[in-house]
Amino acid sequence: MVNCLNKNYYVCTGCALLCDDIEVEVSGDHITKIKTVCRKGFSRIGGCIEPMPCTSDGKSVDITTAIKDAASILMNADNPLIFGLGNSTSGAQKQAIELAKRIGAVIDDSSSFCQGPIIEAILHEKIHTCTLDDVRNRADVIVYWGADPSNSHPRHLSMHSYFPRGEERQHGWEDDRTAIAIDVRRSHTAKICGNRFYQIPLHTDAFLIEALIDALSGKVPKVPFEYDIKKILELANVLKKAQFGVIFAGLGVVYSIGDMGTMTRLMDKLNEVSNFHLIPMMGHYNMRGFNQNLFEATGYFNRVKFEKRENGFDVKHGVDYSIMEVLNTKKTDAALIIGSDPMSCLPRSTAEYLSEIPLVSIGPCENFTSRVAKVTIPSALSGVECGGSAVRMDGVKVTFEPMIKTARLSDEEILKRIMEAI
Amino acid sequence: MELGKFLTAPEYGFVIVTYRDIFQSAALEKSRFGEEYRKLSAVIKMDSGDIKKLGVVEGDTVVVKNACGKVVVRVEESGYDVPHQGVAYMPNSPWSNSLVSADTGGTGVPKYKMIKVMVSNARGEAITGMM
Ligand code: SF4
Repeated sequence: MVNCLNKNYYVCTGCALLCDDIEVEVSGDHITKIKTVCRKGFSRIGGCIEPMPCTSDGKSVDITTAIKDAASILMNADNPLIFGLGNSTSGAQKQAIELAKRIGAVIDDSSSFCQGPIIEAILHEKIHTCTLDDVRNRADVIVYWGADPSNSHPRHLSMHSYFPRGEERQHGWEDDRTAIAIDVRRSHTAKICGNRFYQIPLHTDAFLIEALIDALSGKVPKVPFEYDIKKILELANVLKKAQFGVIFAGLGVVYSIGDMGTMTRLMDKLNEVSNFHLIPMMGHYNMRGFNQNLFEATGYFNRVKFEKRENGFDVKHGVDYSIMEVLNTKKTDAALIIGSDPMSCLPRSTAEYLSEIPLVSIGPCENFTSRVAKVTIPSALSGVECGGSAVRMDGVKVTFEPMIKTARLSDEEILKRIMEAI
Repeated sequence: MELGKFLTAPEYGFVIVTYRDIFQSAALEKSRFGEEYRKLSAVIKMDSGDIKKLGVVEGDTVVVKNACGKVVVRVEESGYDVPHQGVAYMPNSPWSNSLVSADTGGTGVPKYKMIKVMVSNARGEAITGMM
C-alpha cells in the first residue's frame, strides 16, 4: 500500500503488471467501490461467486482436518507433484519449494508451457531487458510481438508502454513514440498501432526474425511466404533508428519460435546497431516470482524434482519434470495444486489424469480442478485479503497490503501448516 | 421430416489459434461455471467465407473435433480485414483445450496456437457443457 496525498493506493493482482495505483472504498470487511482498475482487475478484486469450500472426501470439514488430510495425502505419495503458485505471493512460493524438498516432489508452474524460454534467457542474462519504468520514461520504439496487451494486460499501454508522457517522452504517443504490432491477426493492440501493423502467416515468426537480422546487416531480406520486402526493410529501419527500443514478447511469438535462439540473435543484432530490450508478457501476477524464487533455490526456474536421498535430496530438472510429461506418463501419484486450474488450462486429455489421483486444491475460488479434488482448502485472495510481495513482469519487486480482512488463511500459512503436519 | 437431417454435414479442415479476451477473462474471475463465461468461451471466430461454406450463420453452432476431443461451440464472424480462410480463432478456455493434443513432441509445451480440427454444421446442437 502506498500513501500519497493522504490517499491509500493498493496493488491489483489481476495480472503481472501489478498496477499499484488502485483506490478502494471499504465498509467493514467489504469493498464497496474500486477505482482505477481495468475490467479484469475490477472483476478479480470484486471476488468470485463460488468461493472454495473446505472439504475432504466431498464432505465439509474444518480447516485443521483439511490440512491434516492434505498432509497425509502428500506423505503417502511416492511421486507427489506441486503445481501452480503463479497467483501466490513470493512467501507462499518459497514455502512450497521447502515443502517440495521435504516430500521429494516435482514442482512446476505454468511458465512450463508458456513464457519459460524467455525467462530462462533473461535469468541467464542472454537477453537484454529493462523495467516498465524505463519504458514509460524512455522508450521511443515499442514492439508488441505476438502479444495483445489490450486484452491480456489491459493497462499496459496506458500505464507504461505507449500513452504516458515519460521523462524523455514528453510529447507522448503522438510524436515521441512509435508502436509496432507483429501478429497473425489484427488484434485490438494491432488496431492501435495503425499502419505499423505487420501481419504474418501462422508460425512464420522465425522467418521474419531471420529476415530482420539480414535487413539490419545490410543484406536483402527473404521470407518463404508472399510478403512485401519493402515493409521488412521499413520495419528494420525503424528498429535501427530507435533510441530506446523494447519488444514485448507474447505467447504468439514464444509458441511460434519454440526456443529462444533466433530471438536472442535478433536481440544481439539489434543491440549492435541500436539499443533494444525485451520484456516477456507474463500472465499470472507472480509467475516471474516463482521462476526467480525457484532459480535462487535450485539454479532452475521451473520443471524441478527434489529426489530424496538419505542425507537430503538431489535436484533434477528437465522436460521429464514438466507438468505435461508427469501427467502424460502418469508418473505422479498425488498432487497439490495451489491457485491454479490445470483441468481448465491444460489439454483436457492430459489434465484428466488428475481426477484419477488423490488431489489437494488450495485457492480462493472453486475451479474445474477443485471439483475433482479429494481435499479442497480455501485461501485468502492475495492483494485483496492478504498482503505479501510479488515480482512484476519486468522483474521489479512489488509489495502489497490487503484491502480487507478475512478469516481465510493465506496460501503461505496453509502451506506452513501442511508442512508442520508432515 | 427433412431428409437433410439424416445426411452427415460436410466437414472442413481448420487450424485454430487461441487468443485472450478481456471480457472472457473478467467473466472467469467471477465464475468459471457461469453462463457468461460459457457464452464468451465456447466461441469460434471464422472468416465470413468459411461461415458460408459451412452453411451456418453467425450465432449458429458448429461441431469442432479432432482425435483429442469434440466440442460444440457458437460461430462468430472474426471481422478481420484480411481474409483468413482455413484459420479460425477461439479464446483460450476448457473448450479449446478439449481439442489440444497431449503430445508435446518432447517439449512439454502443448500446441495451443496450432490446433488442427475438422468443423461441421452442428444443426442446432447445443453448446457443450463443461462439468
Ligand atoms: S492491468 Fe492487470 S494489474 Fe492492472 S488493473 Fe488490470 S488486471 Fe489489474
